[in-house]
This record gives sequence, C-alpha cells and structure tokens, in this order.
Amino acid sequence: MRILIVLVRLAWRYLWRNHRRTIIMLGAIVLGTWAMIFMTALTRGMVDQMIADGISAIPGHVQVHGQGYLDDPSVTRSIPLSDEEFAARFADAGFSAWATRVRVPAVITSERESRGVTLLGIDPAAERDFSFVDYGAVDGRFLESPEDSGIVIGAKLADTLETRVGKRVVLMSQDPDNDIADRGFRVVGVFEANMQAFEEGFVFVGKATAQKMLRMGTATTEAVFVGDDYRNVEPVYDKVAAGVGDAVTVSRWTEVDTYLGTMLKTMDGFVLVWMIVIFLALSFGLVNTLVMAVFERVREIGLMLALGMKPAMILGQIIIESMMLLALGLLIGTALAWASIVPLEGGIDLSAVGEGMEMWGASSVLYPKLYLEDVVLANVVVLVLGFFASLSPAWRASRYEPVEAITKVG
Amino acid sequence: MNRRYPYLLLLLATPVFALDTERCATQIVSDAVDHWRGLSSYSVMTMVIHRPDWERSMTMRAWTKGDERTLVRVIEPKKDRGNGTLTDDDTMWSFSPKVNRVIKVPSSMMGQSWMGSDFSNRDVARADDIIDQYEHSILSTEEVDGKTVYTIESIPHEDAAVVWGSEVLRIREDHVVLAHAFYDQDGELVKSLVSHEIADMGGRTIASRQRMTKADNPDEWTEIAVIEIEYELELKDSLFTLSNLRNPRE
Repeated sequence: MRILIVLVRLAWRYLWRNHRRTIIMLGAIVLGTWAMIFMTALTRGMVDQMIADGISAIPGHVQVHGQGYLDDPSVTRSIPLSDEEFAARFADAGFSAWATRVRVPAVITSERESRGVTLLGIDPAAERDFSFVDYGAVDGRFLESPEDSGIVIGAKLADTLETRVGKRVVLMSQDPDNDIADRGFRVVGVFEANMQAFEEGFVFVGKATAQKMLRMGTATTEAVFVGDDYRNVEPVYDKVAAGVGDAVTVSRWTEVDTYLGTMLKTMDGFVLVWMIVIFLALSFGLVNTLVMAVFERVREIGLMLALGMKPAMILGQIIIESMMLLALGLLIGTALAWASIVPLEGGIDLSAVGEGMEMWGASSVLYPKLYLEDVVLANVVVLVLGFFASLSPAWRASRYEPVEAITKVG
Repeated sequence: MNRRYPYLLLLLATPVFALDTERCATQIVSDAVDHWRGLSSYSVMTMVIHRPDWERSMTMRAWTKGDERTLVRVIEPKKDRGNGTLTDDDTMWSFSPKVNRVIKVPSSMMGQSWMGSDFSNRDVARADDIIDQYEHSILSTEEVDGKTVYTIESIPHEDAAVVWGSEVLRIREDHVVLAHAFYDQDGELVKSLVSHEIADMGGRTIASRQRMTKADNPDEWTEIAVIEIEYELELKDSLFTLSNLRNPRE
C-alpha cells in the first residue's frame, strides 16, 4: 500500500515536471472526450426525435391489422374484430392509450389539384393523447366526434390544393367491392406538424364518416396500442397478442416501420464505434507522449532500477501516470461537455438546413440529449483503451538494463 | 289582426314557392340531360383538342343506353383506333388494343383527363350526377330569339363528391344546354362548356358543337362536334359489356 502511495506521488510529480507537455496532452484528451460526449448527445437527440416523430405517425407501440394489410393496405383487409370486442378485451388492460381507426390510401381533390394521401378515420377523443396533431393548435377546429362530417388536412396540403378552412374537397378511395367510394368534405381544420411529410400525407376524418363513405360497416383496418416506453414494447405486445387471437397480424412499431426500428438498434452500436474512432486518433497522441516521457527519463529510470526498484513498479508508475492524465482529462472533458449541452437543451434551430434534414425524417429543431450511460461509456472506453495504449511505453521502461540506462548519454 | 294577415300569408307562401322553383329547376336540368341522351342513342363525333402549340382531332362513335351506360370507341386517327371507354353507373373501364388490356379506371384517376382532353374521366362517367347531387335554383329567365332561356345555378350537396362551388347552366326552353360553367368555391370561373352550334339532328334540336375552355387559359380547349346522331334505337345490353369493349362486334 505504501508503495502504491509512493508510486502515485512520483507519478503526479513527473506529470507536472514537464507541465507544457502534460497540458497539451490534457488538452487533446479534454477535446476528445468533449467531442465524444457532445456529438453523441447530438446524434442521440436527433435519433430520439426521429423515433418520437416516427412513432407519432405510426402511431402506437403495437399495432393490429387484418392479415396482409401491411403489404397491401386496402379496405378489404379489415380487422375481423369489432370495436366492442376490442373494448371488452382491452378496456382494463392498462395501456396508456389505444384506439381503432380506418386507415386507407385515398385521393384528395380540390378544384385545381389532386393528391394521394393516407386517409385516417379516427375517433378524435381516443387519439388526443398520442396524435402528432395538437388539437388545440389547429387552425379552425379539429374533429369533434367520430361522426364529424368535416375533414382536417395539413397546412402544406392545403397550400398545394389551394384550399383552406371552410372550403370543400373531395376524397376518393375504394370500397370493399373495389368500386369507387367518394364523398365531399368541408375543410374544418388545417394542422401544422413538425414534419412536412405529415402535413402532406395525412388527412383526418371522423371514423364513422369514413366507414360510411367506404361502405365498410363498422369495420376498422388498424388498432393501435400505446404503452409506457417505446424502447420496451414487449409487455404491450404480449398482452395484445394474447388478446386478439390468430386471425390478425400483431406487430411492434419496429416491424411496422423497420427503418426506424433498425435505426434505434444501429444507434447503440454507432455510439460505441464513434467513441472508439475518436479514441484511436487520441491514442496516438497519448502513446507518443508517454513514449517521449519515457525516453526523456531513461537515466532516471535506470537510477531507480539500480536503487532497487522492481521493474513491475516502473511499469505501474508509468501506467499510473497515464491513468492520471486520462482521468484528469476525462473529468474536465465531461464537465465541459455537460456545460455545453445544458444550455442547448432548449433546442438548436436548424431550419436553415431543415429541408435536407427532413429528407431522412429528422425535424428542423435539434434537441441534444445527454444520457448517463453514454457518458459512462465514453469514460470507460477512454480509460480501458488508454490502459492498453500505455502498456507498451511502460513495458519498454521497465525492461531497461540499469547500467546501460544510467550510462546512456542524452 | 287584419293588418298582419297578408304578411302571414306571404311567410307561409315563401317556402312553398322556393320548393317549387327548385323542383322546377331540377326538372329543367333533368329534362335537358334526358333530351341530350335520350333513352338510347348512337352518335359519331369528332373531338378536337387544342393547345397553343399543337392540335389533334379524333373521331369516335358513342352509344348510350339509359342514364348509366355509355360506350365510346375511337375510329380515327388510325393510331388510336380501337381505344374505348365503357361506363356503367359510376364505374369506368378503358381498353387499348395496343396493350390488349381492359383496365378498370381506379378512383385515383377519375379526376384525370379523358383521352387527353379537357374533360375529366369523371365528366364522362358521371354526367348525370348533375341531377341528384345538386340543389338547383333558377337565377334568371330571359328571352333569346323568341325562346326562353333559363339560367340555373346548381350547388352541390354538402357531402357530394364534387369539388366545384357551383355550376351555372343556361338551358333553352327546348332543353338545349347553351352553356355550362364551373365555378370554384370562391366564385371564380374555372372552366366552361359553351355550345357554339345548335342544329336539328336525329329528330331533335341539339347542341352540335360544344367547346370546353379553361378560364385561366383560353388557348386550351376541347371541342366536340356531332357529325351524326340517332335516338331511341334498339340497343342490345350485350353492347355494354367488357367483352364487347375488347372485341367489337357490330
């Protein structure tokens, strides 16, 4: 134990004997650590946002569809379960929200333009909590009941169609017999979403109105269930799968939107790879510094060996030196990263490049997210890899022949 | 009490009167549609599609039976020969001999142009929707060349699958449609169908040359001229079948 204290003291003094070199090295480590944590927080924030947005469009953590619907989202592939059956099975299941809806492709036409959209026939009260539309912020009003005869469209779509609140548009789709089902709707509300694709791609009508228009009785094509945590949907999945039987397809959101699901999985791996890449760049500097320090101190090390210090202690001392350097750098780097992320947590406005971001599904305001496990990971990666990087110079120092080392010139 | 009486009468009379003009207007419109289509008809028409930089014309034959069934087949020019369209109620099929396929026109394409003209598929398939999907009212009546012309405003029902704000028809007392204008919901003219020639053909007085023009682009129009027409023929039901659309037998 005493030996260790002596070694630590020696290492600490050596570190500050050439303080310029130490400070430069410290700077490199601080910068590296900061970059690791800060960039990770940015990417985390971006991915979290993408997933949150993506899930809000799916929506729900677990979905139920008629068989084959996911491959061919047609009104003929409705769910062979009535709303009453769903209610009987899931009213007390403890989901944070669930709803059944009509979701089919449709064409919306105004006097001047027509566009393909996804028609969502919803029960507005049931979806209030997880809809990507903020009902209160809708220009005009949102749907009020499943029987509402109005339609709510996105701001971007309203622009394209040259229509607005109060005007009529026509929706066209197909009924279960493949005949044309169409109906006029008055635009009662125009919503804004943080993603342009949503504003262009989705229109909301009352569920009962949609069912009447599509001549599908009281059938629905989609049931959505929201649990507590989108990263862990298994409890919800198991409950739903047990409740609905085999006649339907039950899928997790990671299966409905495989792009998002894969993204979430890739993200964890990506963070580690990113840290290792930064560390590799950093490690060259670290090893170089330590090797230089060892070269400079050949005579000293020889002297210590001659005085009876064991090679293992020399090895230990050099490693302690590098660990101290790293720990100090990590401490400052982490603190710096934290200090630079906290003020940005309110969001970084990227609307200048927002359009490009949207192309791959990110929104134009970036909210960095600092996760404790990412910080821990960064620190552990640097310490562990740093230990291995310092092994070689330390090994070299401990292998000197005392006589040769003392007599070495320069 | 006595003094109020006339007003009361007026109040009572107004809705009856309104109902009556509406029924009257609806009657005029439906008579015009019946007059144009007859119980059945056979016609040969040319359609000229005009654009600022090009123009083309097609000749085609058309059969109609009742309000719902129509078969149109192109005979000129040669490269389009055999192209056909069959409509039955709201459904529309098209056939092209080049690909030798009958295609059911999906709902997404109903708003698109019919054979490249200024008419949409919907215009062709659902010409008779004008009767029951709208509220009709007479805006004015006037005398032109000794004949009464009714100007009728047709406003689509709230849930009708019609994008127009209103349509204004000018119909002569002998059931000839002189003009049919389509207005958007701000009351702005979008396109109009105007009859340029009226002639006695097939035993009726009909609009023999009609032109559809887009309001914001007067250089683009489609004109349909009737070359020959016959009414009240015996047309077999087999005429309006998919197999006849594909393999003409006549």
